[in-house]
Amino acid sequence: MIFSPAFELESGEVVIHEARKHWLLFVFELLPYAILAIIPFALPGFLRLVGPLSPYADLINYGEPLPRAVLGIWLLVVWTSAWGALTRYYLNLWILTDRRIVEITQYHYFDREVSSVLLNRVQDVTTEVKGALFSLLDIGNIHVQSAGAVDEFHMNGIGSPEALRDIILKKASENSKTTGV
Amino acid sequence: MPDQPLQPFALPQGISIHLSAGSTIGWALLLVFLIWAVYTLVASYHWIRYSHAPAVALPAIIAHLAVSAALMSFALSGALLP
Repeated sequence: MIFSPAFELESGEVVIHEARKHWLLFVFELLPYAILAIIPFALPGFLRLVGPLSPYADLINYGEPLPRAVLGIWLLVVWTSAWGALTRYYLNLWILTDRRIVEITQYHYFDREVSSVLLNRVQDVTTEVKGALFSLLDIGNIHVQSAGAVDEFHMNGIGSPEALRDIILKKASENSKTTGV
Repeated sequence: MPDQPLQPFALPQGISIHLSAGSTIGWALLLVFLIWAVYTLVASYHWIRYSHAPAVALPAIIAHLAVSAALMSFALSGALLP
């Protein structure tokens, strides 16, 4: 199977929720790339504003072959970097199943960590929403304290953290009743 | 103290280096495209191997290839110097 799952679900295990960083934060991450993409187009105008450098503005003519090639390379590098950011954004996620929480962290390419905590080992779930914008958009952080070797799970910048906390606590309570822990 | 004016450095006879803007840009493009190809392979591998969502991974890869092809065409259209 080409598209193998990120982790193996146990028999009868059901995925309840998948959470990624809020899309708005990803848009913020893309801003530097957008600025880098705009720079070549703004550069001639900027050079004209600076008196001593204004003669150089005439050298930048993207209708000419050489500046066109340089611009093409520049935009290709910026685009590919932005696409890499999308890849990392998409591959970092939390998966809540009816039995556990799985945290998948893609630090870099070929540097990936998948850890999970059983819901019946969850001791505490904390959320924090900081700042006016994040409060308005309901974006925040969630921390799950477990009794296992991995002390705490963190997920920063997710949407509706309090709703997710409620789901986790509800499922953790159900699991504790089922397993008797 | 030398009493003769300094002469600019000159390659020994029989050795010459021909660098044109066209060939330099051509090599630069080739290098960038090679790096792009390796990076794209690595990122696509991660999409396919770890995204566990073909409905998202395939469009993401196809969009990347399409935009990159457009940008490469744009760059190459400028690299064909005489």
